[in-house]
Amino acid sequence: MLVKAKLLAFCSVMAVVAAGCTGGGNNPSATQGGHLIIGTTSNIDTMNPFVTFQQNSYAAFEYIYPQLSQFDAEGQKLLPDFATKWTTSADGLVWTFSTVPNATWSDGQPLTAKDADFTFNTILKYGDGPAGNLVGGLANVRSVKAIGDNTLVVTYSTPAANVLQELQGIPILPEHVWQQYATGDGKGLRQFPNLPENGQPLVSGGPFELAQYTKDSTAIFAANDKFYGPKPEIDGFGLQYFSNDDAMISALRSGQIQAAINIPPTAVATLKGDNSLTVYDGPGLQFRDFIINSSPNKTENLELLDPKVRMAMEYAIDRNSIVETAWLGYAKPGSTILPPAAGIWHDPSIQPLPFDIAKANAMLDAAGYTRGSDGIRVANGHPMDYTVLFAKDESGAGDTAFQIIQNGFQQIGIKVTQRKEDNDAVNTAILGDNDTYNKFDLAMWDWYPCCPVPDFILSVVECSEFGNWSDTGYCNPAYDKMYKEQGLQRNLKERQKMVYAMQKMIYDARPYIVLSNDDTLNAWSNDWTGFVEGSLGLFNNLSKASLTQVHQA
Amino acid sequence: MHRADYVIKRIAFALITVFVAITINFILFRALPGSAVSNFSRAPHASPELRATLTHEFGLDQPLWKQYVLYLDQLIVHRNMGVSFADNQPVTTELAGKLKNTLGMVFVGTLFAIVIGIVTGFVSAWRRSGVVDHVSTNTAIVFYALPTQFIGMMLIFLFAKYLPTAGMRNEVNTFFSGGSTWSSIKDIGLHMMLPAITLALTLFGEYTLVVRSAMLETLGEDYVLTARAKGLPQRRIVVSHALRNAMLPIVTLVALSLGFIVAGAILVEIVFSWPGIGQAVYEAVATRDYPMLQGAFLVLTLSVVFFNFIADLLYFKLDPRITE
Repeated sequence: MLVKAKLLAFCSVMAVVAAGCTGGGNNPSATQGGHLIIGTTSNIDTMNPFVTFQQNSYAAFEYIYPQLSQFDAEGQKLLPDFATKWTTSADGLVWTFSTVPNATWSDGQPLTAKDADFTFNTILKYGDGPAGNLVGGLANVRSVKAIGDNTLVVTYSTPAANVLQELQGIPILPEHVWQQYATGDGKGLRQFPNLPENGQPLVSGGPFELAQYTKDSTAIFAANDKFYGPKPEIDGFGLQYFSNDDAMISALRSGQIQAAINIPPTAVATLKGDNSLTVYDGPGLQFRDFIINSSPNKTENLELLDPKVRMAMEYAIDRNSIVETAWLGYAKPGSTILPPAAGIWHDPSIQPLPFDIAKANAMLDAAGYTRGSDGIRVANGHPMDYTVLFAKDESGAGDTAFQIIQNGFQQIGIKVTQRKEDNDAVNTAILGDNDTYNKFDLAMWDWYPCCPVPDFILSVVECSEFGNWSDTGYCNPAYDKMYKEQGLQRNLKERQKMVYAMQKMIYDARPYIVLSNDDTLNAWSNDWTGFVEGSLGLFNNLSKASLTQVHQA
Repeated sequence: MHRADYVIKRIAFALITVFVAITINFILFRALPGSAVSNFSRAPHASPELRATLTHEFGLDQPLWKQYVLYLDQLIVHRNMGVSFADNQPVTTELAGKLKNTLGMVFVGTLFAIVIGIVTGFVSAWRRSGVVDHVSTNTAIVFYALPTQFIGMMLIFLFAKYLPTAGMRNEVNTFFSGGSTWSSIKDIGLHMMLPAITLALTLFGEYTLVVRSAMLETLGEDYVLTARAKGLPQRRIVVSHALRNAMLPIVTLVALSLGFIVAGAILVEIVFSWPGIGQAVYEAVATRDYPMLQGAFLVLTLSVVFFNFIADLLYFKLDPRITE
């Protein structure tokens, strides 16, 4: 066959079955059964994958639907999932996946490569409309075709390095449930609630099935005994939504819940003092940033485009103080947009500038920004007095961080004022007129770079992200070219070099001054063990490992 | 004024109020800076087509006046509050479920507050200037002054070991361990205790002070003096003469506050993660879910207008001077 003829020896072959790779359940020494409740302050907005945009919904899909691949527990390596192995053609355009044979959905219907074919083709067909939130994962895909029940062939228009991670983010849906909605204009895809009905669980193909769901309250997942991979050690788990952190912490301490995701730094010391609990405190992927508008369309306060001003600003930011005072030590000073938790993709050679007010002042003096009578420097005839757009998400520790920055800037003759608004209002203010980023000066926000792999976070500073993910107005065709090239580079070392160079380019240009990298903070009862201790957290959308291997201590 | 005239005027006033509120609900959220679409189109590599699709789907590509006419048409003619931007499900169905959850908890909390408020206010007036009066009045003032969320958090810290602090029921344990109808009712009752007590503590102080004041006023009336002069027992004077006449402001206050407690439960629901209409408002504000916000605010408006209307009718019934 033509497809087979294209397969070459050097192709990436992953022959390890998913059961052996995930480090998941079936641990003979583990205490089987039982259920636990996990607390979260982020709700599941909907279980419809064509509608949701919440992290916990995607994490739920990871556990109830098959994906072709998944990350290991640490989020560093891609492993088989529903695809047991895969090969690529010499030109990198054709990817052939072998899927688990004789798998079934939770309702007993066959789970085959045809379900993946249906899912991917539905997304491609309705990508400009109802399936728009998933189609990004199939960028450059020309065709998808199942050959028999256990082979899926995905053909790309250009070779890509990030195929497996992109496909990892797409849940494979049961065709026999969804095909009735993938007709006409496809609107039905977004209208189907995709919830358990009449006491019957949602048709699922992952290690768990969604058994019950109450919006803004609880989602209950029961072990799926028909799962093709390693079975969970537990009977199931519930995800309990809390509207506030303090109530969640109290519930954890009193035993009402057995684990909590993303505990606030203010609670860590208390929880660490509780002998009945384990607190995981490790490097995380989320970072907090100070944004300097980099748009070429900027019409006012153009001195902010001056690299010397940007560098002086960084010298005047006391990152250590931010970490210790605002984050109570449960964060690390930031440097690049790929934090250390990104593993091999983080460039450790990029070090943040030290807090040095004298040096910052000297730079601004040398650049000719003299102080006015009120101590505020003057640039282009106006005082260096700026508004910092401050997203509501940053409230709390971010307010303290702002005060530290404000104090540092005051010492170098730059006045900043906080303008706190809800996220959408800040986003609108950043976008400016017709998405040109022509108006705003400075902002404070954060990023969760999706996953340890670099593609997403590197993409947010592309010119093409104007009006979408870009919150800096940064646009550099040279950077965009590098982004495309790294995406095609399938040699890991070479790609790493390119990713390092891109980080350096962004660091030097300073659309972002990365202030700090959050720690991942999770806690659980000592009655339970086996939770993954890593940057992804104990309930994530990248790996099925955590909740398939957790068990009673 | 005839009774019918009075009722018709009150109904007309209520309808106008509702219409104005509906209009303000529509304008208010759209007047805010920011866009609902930007929130829901933030998918990796999202295309301008996705934003255009969502804008069209949400009806936000229409001129504002047309959106308003469609909104009124759907709401008044078709009794349809639209579809939530967040999960694409009908707002009416979602709000009905949320309202049911809220009403149960709010009813219990308000009932506690009314009973405690009337009893403590009554006792305070009866034992005026005594220790009981001082303790009761000061307690009422303190709780009246404390923010709802503070009372709620204190109760969580104090009782988290003994009572559930989040949600309406322990669905997870019930699902995996089973349970009878009785255990399910008990579970809901236990979950309701802290939020209902919080609401009761927040509200009772106002009732105490009004009841005490109304009672003191009526106890000083001539007819009470006459009753005393006639040698009637103290209990009969207080219960039959003073309390009955003091009911006018009390009933009015209760009816008026009932209208606001649905809205007032927002803070209680957020503190205790109670899946009611208050929590729905909180989530909808965070995500710019216009249809959900419009629907929720309409329900809150209707509850205030409805109970105001009831208060008017009760006033009319209790105080015949209105018709004179």
